[in-house]
Amino acid sequence: MSTGVNIDPTRRPQAVAAWVLALPFVALFLAFTAGPVLASLGMSFTDFRISDMRSPFSVDFVGLENYTALLGDELFRKVAMNTALYVVLGVPLTMSLALAVAVGLNRVGRLRGLFRVGYYLPVVTSIVAVSVVWKFIYRDNGGLLNIVLGWVGVDGLAWLDSTTLALPSVVVMSAWRNLGFLMVIFLAGLQTVPKEQHEAAEVDGATAWQRFRHITLPTLRPTLLFGAIITSIGYLQFFEEAFVMTSGGPLDATRSVTFFTYDQFGFGNHAYAAAASYLLFLAVVVLTFIQFKLLGEKD
Amino acid sequence: MNTTRTTRLRALTALGVAATLALTGCGRDESSTSGEGPGQGSAVEEGAATGDIEVWAMGAEGEILGDFVKDFEEENPDAKVDVTAIPWEAAHDKIQTAIASGETPDVSLIGTTWMGEFAQSGGLDPTPTDLVDEGDFFEGPWGSTVVGDTSYGVPWYVETRVLFYRSDLAEQAGWDEAPQSWDELTQFAADMESKAGAEYGLNLQPGQTGSWQSVLPFAWSNGATVTNEDGTEYTLDTPEMTEALEYYKSFFDEGYAPTRMLDAGELESGFASGQFGAFVSGPWHTGLVEEAGVKPDQYAVAPLPGKDSAPGTSFVGGGDLAVFKDSDNRESAWKLVQWLSEAETQQAFYDEVGALPAVQEAWETGELAEDERLQVFGEQLTSTVAPPAVPTWEQVAAEIDSEVEKAVKGARPVDESVTTMQEEASRIGTGL
Repeated sequence: MSTGVNIDPTRRPQAVAAWVLALPFVALFLAFTAGPVLASLGMSFTDFRISDMRSPFSVDFVGLENYTALLGDELFRKVAMNTALYVVLGVPLTMSLALAVAVGLNRVGRLRGLFRVGYYLPVVTSIVAVSVVWKFIYRDNGGLLNIVLGWVGVDGLAWLDSTTLALPSVVVMSAWRNLGFLMVIFLAGLQTVPKEQHEAAEVDGATAWQRFRHITLPTLRPTLLFGAIITSIGYLQFFEEAFVMTSGGPLDATRSVTFFTYDQFGFGNHAYAAAASYLLFLAVVVLTFIQFKLLGEKD
Repeated sequence: MNTTRTTRLRALTALGVAATLALTGCGRDESSTSGEGPGQGSAVEEGAATGDIEVWAMGAEGEILGDFVKDFEEENPDAKVDVTAIPWEAAHDKIQTAIASGETPDVSLIGTTWMGEFAQSGGLDPTPTDLVDEGDFFEGPWGSTVVGDTSYGVPWYVETRVLFYRSDLAEQAGWDEAPQSWDELTQFAADMESKAGAEYGLNLQPGQTGSWQSVLPFAWSNGATVTNEDGTEYTLDTPEMTEALEYYKSFFDEGYAPTRMLDAGELESGFASGQFGAFVSGPWHTGLVEEAGVKPDQYAVAPLPGKDSAPGTSFVGGGDLAVFKDSDNRESAWKLVQWLSEAETQQAFYDEVGALPAVQEAWETGELAEDERLQVFGEQLTSTVAPPAVPTWEQVAAEIDSEVEKAVKGARPVDESVTTMQEEASRIGTGL
């Protein structure tokens, strides 16, 4: 018996047409996305250095050596720790601020557009410009923050020159910059919260906090999941702010994994840098997976 | 559905295997990575340059060079020089990509600290024998072109670091002339604070990017070296290095220098207001401090103090001119390089751009010979060391920066910092 029973005669030409139409994308994707990604993955298992540029295939295969070397690298462990701190401090701060602003704005009737633009403006401003301005705010001598603290009799601190304060200071700036984006997402999510439930709960005597906790938050769960993932990926790849504001200092206190990778590429250690980026990629995957488990829909 | 997935999986596996085979199939060729350098290139023939010569140059040099080479084109009517100006920030990557793809210009300006890397990657043509006389150049700058035993270019312009100080404040503090020795420098910084009211006697960089350029001069002045003679091993862990870093750190411990990073422009305005009594920097700072409001008679420059007597050994940077292996017009390209390193051309180029000439003779006449401040730079140039021209230098320099920061901020004892520098440097290797 033949297997092909009743195959639609137009199917084959259709498939051909589909492939022809898909070809431009497939070609570009293979050449500029899949190719480089595979090449860099392969490269991370070799001892490729910048001086091998002219003969990229005459390098030695070193297995997992780059990866084990990274795990033993004092600086890499430090920057991995910093990156974890960026995520742990930055994600909750950004999300709670964005949620607070969104809930607040959801109730504002007049001037709502103005506020929305105001909170969103930092997102569309160049990170470098924002960082430079905040660098002045945080300045030790004559910085805006220290001047304001001086009015209430508090001695100013060297925000960006202290190994303990520098990272949180950078996170605060970054949270301020990024909350606008999440605010828009959360505002959209809030429109899906059923008014009837709120009214019913109010009649039953639930407080505002109880209503927020038991009606608003559960409805927002998918939106929160999306927000958490996007924000976490952002903080895992933290780079520009530290690059402009602190150059990774003081004493590498603000250096992130991406910064480390950038440096290694600069030093010409392409294989080592590629390995570092794949470790970061692994962290993104793991963290996203955990967030799906914790915040995702419960079956 | 199931079959497509299997096919896809199989295709992916095949790709992976192919990639692995490709990688394992072609390992390093051992003979090419070790052994002697290639020796100098064959001599360039006499006669005029011909054809198109494509040149890349960065910064102010890149902008001016196009017009400047008109004289060369007049002397060599059959040659046409085509200059492309490239911003410094993009230059390293651009040259790197050009070498990798084989699509290089004929000649390029190359930052002295990149020479090791580009020469090692096989992109640069060794300097032809008898093209120029090594003795015409300052010794330090010439050293920046030598990778292994082979020279891969010609120094074009140089910059070196000297001591800038407020001469009016120094006078108040009882100093008629600049400090000559380390002990005097410490005393000088102390007096600038106690007698002339400066908040910081001598600003030095507290670690972070580029601080090696401030620290190594002290180490060199103390007899330390960064690598061994042929550049195969780093030799950072020496008593001389430890002593120099110890001395460098003392300025931060005593409060003569701030441990925080200064903002852009802070040093210049602080120098003008008398907050900073002195600092160590290069020739571009004469313009910057004068822009910040320091009058020419308010400040002076002096060679770096040595351990016991001036001048100490300073850092020398700048730019070299190199010809690429993939150049289609090698002979004429080297002729252009030769022309650019003639004393007269160098002097004319100084008049045009203000870049300090690498050729000693250019300093003997004209403004360079008459201006007092410039003469200080000229004097300092006779006592300089270039950072080692090895492929891994940038990375080791970053390690030094990081350890310097730890040491001056007291996060790690000085001797341990120096040991760590050496450990990291040995692990990285010079790459030669």
